[in-house]
Amino acid sequence: MQLMNKPINISSALAAATCALLGAPNANAADTDELWKFDTALMYYGEVDRVTAVEAIIGATKDFGDEHIFSGKVTIDGLTGASATGAVAQPVAQTFTRPSGDGNYVTGAGETPLDDTFHDTRVQLTAQWTQPIAENMRASGGVNFSNEYDYMSFAVNGSVAYDLNQKNTTLSLGLSYAFDTIKPEGGIPLAFSSVAIKPYSDDSENEQENENEYEDDFNRTRVDDSDNKNTIDLMLGLTQVINRRMIMQFNYGLSLVDGYTTDPFKILSVVNEQGLTQDLLYENRPDTRTRNSFYWQTKYALDFGVADISYRFATDDWKIDSHTIDSRLRINLSDTSYLQPHFRYYQQGAAEFYRPFLMEGDNVPEFASADYRLGEMTAYTVGLKYGMELDNGDELAFRLEYYQQTPKNAGFNEPGALQDVDLYPSLKAVIAQVSYRF
Amino acid sequence: MSTKSTQHGYTIERKSDHFCGRFFAMGSPCELLIDSIDEQLAHHLTSLAYDESKRIEQKFSRYKADNLLHQINHAAGLEVAIDDETHRLLKFADTCYHLSDGMFDLSSGVLRKAWQFDGSDRVPSADTVNQLLPLIGWSKVKLSTKHIQLPIGMELDLGGIGKEYAVDSVAKQCTQEAAGVSVVVNFGGDIQVTQARVNEQYWHIGIESITDDGAAAKLLKIKSGGLATSGDSRRFLLKNGKRYSHILNPLTGYPIEDAPRSVTVVASHCIQAGLLATLALLQGPAAESFLQSQNVQFWCYR
Repeated sequence: MQLMNKPINISSALAAATCALLGAPNANAADTDELWKFDTALMYYGEVDRVTAVEAIIGATKDFGDEHIFSGKVTIDGLTGASATGAVAQPVAQTFTRPSGDGNYVTGAGETPLDDTFHDTRVQLTAQWTQPIAENMRASGGVNFSNEYDYMSFAVNGSVAYDLNQKNTTLSLGLSYAFDTIKPEGGIPLAFSSVAIKPYSDDSENEQENENEYEDDFNRTRVDDSDNKNTIDLMLGLTQVINRRMIMQFNYGLSLVDGYTTDPFKILSVVNEQGLTQDLLYENRPDTRTRNSFYWQTKYALDFGVADISYRFATDDWKIDSHTIDSRLRINLSDTSYLQPHFRYYQQGAAEFYRPFLMEGDNVPEFASADYRLGEMTAYTVGLKYGMELDNGDELAFRLEYYQQTPKNAGFNEPGALQDVDLYPSLKAVIAQVSYRF
Repeated sequence: MSTKSTQHGYTIERKSDHFCGRFFAMGSPCELLIDSIDEQLAHHLTSLAYDESKRIEQKFSRYKADNLLHQINHAAGLEVAIDDETHRLLKFADTCYHLSDGMFDLSSGVLRKAWQFDGSDRVPSADTVNQLLPLIGWSKVKLSTKHIQLPIGMELDLGGIGKEYAVDSVAKQCTQEAAGVSVVVNFGGDIQVTQARVNEQYWHIGIESITDDGAAAKLLKIKSGGLATSGDSRRFLLKNGKRYSHILNPLTGYPIEDAPRSVTVVASHCIQAGLLATLALLQGPAAESFLQSQNVQFWCYR
């Protein structure tokens, strides 16, 4: 028969003729020819007296049909302000040299020393591709790149998800690898070396001499221009539909870090028995970190909205145990608008090498850091989000949140003058965000 | 549990997790399965489907005397103005004619005058058939974007694509009106599913069994895409133990021999599936190998 002479062509020619007839690009795209979806957001994060950040996000997603989905995101952050250095407050004013070695700043009596040169711009790019690879099986792969003045990170990730039990159960396995490079201005400081103080001088004759001496001192504290670290993350997940209204998720995560984990801008005060600072040393952290985390989340569909609650427990070999409870309640005000209160509570124990300061005369430990982020603390966030769908189908949302972090003394005695200053100042911040989806 | 309501020409019925809209059009029972429990939406889509299929039926049915097709078929050799939709539909038929080397031909309906497939033994004489052959041949039709011109005595029958076109057209409207909602458009076994259901479940659709004269139904599972069936066991002639199928070869005027009794094909669009099924029937004994070479999912019943 004649048709046999041109076999495959017929069905593809018919497909083309069908498109011309129905005016659709192609069959499977009929429900997804919505083209690109964009998510944009502008966020403000402001800590009282400390860091202020403004972040712009633009994300794009496209479904190429048959669950072949691309998503990409560009994030730009601008940071300015000051951050705690790790040095303790003193009953007298203190003079510090900026981490770059360029210039001094003075911290008033009783004030927590803050490095005021904290400003940076970060650009982050992510791209992710997801598609089915077999019946009931999806795979996803992505890359992530972020760059700022002194820090660069490159990461790749891959995951597979398998649906079973009529898609009521999903098992997933994910793996990611990140390579980070830090290149602080002035170089990487030598662990526990004394911070060089740039001398003041009114005498122009001695100025050059002082300058040279200071430069020698400063350079003696430097070991390298840059350092890096490798991070491997493994994630196992189980998502289970419980009933028509409830869905649960359980995740286990293992994170292995190997490399430079020290913060080159953080220092420790060495105090005497009167609690007065005698020296300032650069901090030092272990070059590996292993972290296990367990996560449970439940979403429950209510008649008027959705309740979402999650709990995470994380524990690592720096001996930081943390608990996070996060909850959101979406309340539908109408078919097109909702209000969503948010509450988050966080608690962590101190790292075993966390020291708010070191005592003069004691042996210098192998590792020590006074970074408040490694100390004992509780933190909570309360917030409210209002979202609405516009007449043209676009979505507009506003979010306002308050964050408070309260560090605690993890059982350290405070000699002399340190009893009169606040070693564990709390941190308060406001977060405001506008997002628009189209 | 189920509630039923009737409104000008259609009914809708609430099922456990979806709505079912029903009406009768184009000589077939028509059904919409709507993956939503929004009754208003079910009414909206069913009435839209009803209106659209009635519109297409009114415009292209050869049983009506006051429509465009009647005008085309009775123009006595003159040009008839056509609209864009008609042009696209005829252009599609033109493609099928060329793809099938003349086996799919909208003008072959005239053979009906000789062949009546009523289960009897009335096989027409060779003379009767041969007299009709000059009135067949799509290549003699002049088609432009604005006009069509048929030689005197020739006529077109859109029966082979009209229903499938209506299914796709209704499905397209449902997609536009209710984006994100899976809808099954099922016009007498010609089916289009607009998109996968929210929970990824299959739609289970009963199809009248060809072999058992409707006694048993075949249950199909479908997620999305189109499906169509060609062939009908009840339309045949039987003479001296020989079965004459109703699939006619426009080149000879005689039924295709050894054609399957029915062919069901899955494709991304209903009309595509319908054409592949029809082209397969025209292959007679080679129907299965033809479909295999097209890389489509199909079922043939002999």
